[in-house]
Amino acid sequence: MKHFSEEDLIAYQLHESSDESTISMHLESCSECADLSESIAETLRVFSADPVPQPDLEHNWQRLRGNLRVLTPERPRGFELFRWHWAWPVAGLTTAALILLTVFGTHIHRIGARHNIAVNGHGPLTTEPTDPSIANHLDAAERLLTEVNNSSGPLDDATREQAHSLLLQNAVYVRSARDSGDFAEAAVLENFGRVLTTLDNEPPTSHSTWRLRLEMNTSGLLLDIRILRQNDDHSQGVSQ
Amino acid sequence: MSNRRMDKAETEAIRNVLAGNRDAYRVLMDRHFCSVTRVAFRITGNEADAEEAAQEAFLRAYNKLPTFRQDSTFSTWIMRITMNTAINLVERRNRDLSYHAPRISDEASTTNHTVKIADRQAGPEGILLNREAAGLRQAAMAELTPMERTAFTLRHMEDIPMGEIAAALNVTTNSAKQAVFRAVSKLRRSLTPIAGGLR
Repeated sequence: MKHFSEEDLIAYQLHESSDESTISMHLESCSECADLSESIAETLRVFSADPVPQPDLEHNWQRLRGNLRVLTPERPRGFELFRWHWAWPVAGLTTAALILLTVFGTHIHRIGARHNIAVNGHGPLTTEPTDPSIANHLDAAERLLTEVNNSSGPLDDATREQAHSLLLQNAVYVRSARDSGDFAEAAVLENFGRVLTTLDNEPPTSHSTWRLRLEMNTSGLLLDIRILRQNDDHSQGVSQ
Repeated sequence: MSNRRMDKAETEAIRNVLAGNRDAYRVLMDRHFCSVTRVAFRITGNEADAEEAAQEAFLRAYNKLPTFRQDSTFSTWIMRITMNTAINLVERRNRDLSYHAPRISDEASTTNHTVKIADRQAGPEGILLNREAAGLRQAAMAELTPMERTAFTLRHMEDIPMGEIAAALNVTTNSAKQAVFRAVSKLRRSLTPIAGGLR
């Protein structure tokens, strides 16, 4: 014989069982389940007997009334939406105006700051150096290249030593220019690096110096370096 | 309870309250405060907390009245608020171990913080309402979790449908049923000495 669980019998006593008639029939023939069911019924009866105190309505009302504020009905939702309909176009126009102002402001600022535009085959050299110490590097580069350009014989040891030193520093400035997104400056410095590498490795003969001068002038490197330096001077002058 | 439609007097009272007439709320309080206190008493287990929970529930309902859409009746709505308020109060009391609210007992006692309530249900079950039984009932109810106690008392003592209890407790109907079944099972074991218990 299949017995019912305590949970089934509790549900039965609370009239929450979906199988009430089957349980009822079972209880007539199974004393074990009938005893358990009666035990549950007794428990429920014990707790049904709990008395409940009656509240003092007048006292509670007086207590409550003191805390009640004067209410006003909430505005209908549709009215709220209607009320705010005007706000969306205004917000849109304001946003558009702000975007236009930002774009024009940035554009005007850039035009004002751009005094030199290199037209030397590598695109415009427009941006001022972001690293202040690059000014010294560009200055040294210009002096070195000028010296190389003007010398007729083989380069002396001091100039070669300076070229070696500039070669090491140049790699750092190329990387800085790339990182800051100034690809025009990076391209010029890369060219400068190639010249320096040649200078550092070529044997000190008049032929090699002539080849260097040719390479510099063909690529317009000296001019590019001068433009970069002037840009740098200008940006420092503006900032001061 | 939920099937009853709100009558004209209650609808009118709500309209008046929303128009700024605070005293119109008295109509709703007269109609529902007793049943609300009764439910709160079932959950909290003592008269002082029951009245406090009922007061708080009516105040909350008043303040939320502008948002009451009347999709359900006011009685269903206030009952849900009451259940939540009373459960929160019980949980607050459980956290505050220093609080001892007056409890129901067969004899009033200032030292034990107990009060006596007139028994309006004298009958065959009255035999069980002796001092020992009352103490055991208190202890048995104290063993239940707030959810079990609420679900059981509302279903068994107040005859509120499971669906409504579940909605108030924010659980599924099946979870509410299971809470009631667990409560009855626990109570039966606790009351073995006086009510038959497990045989």
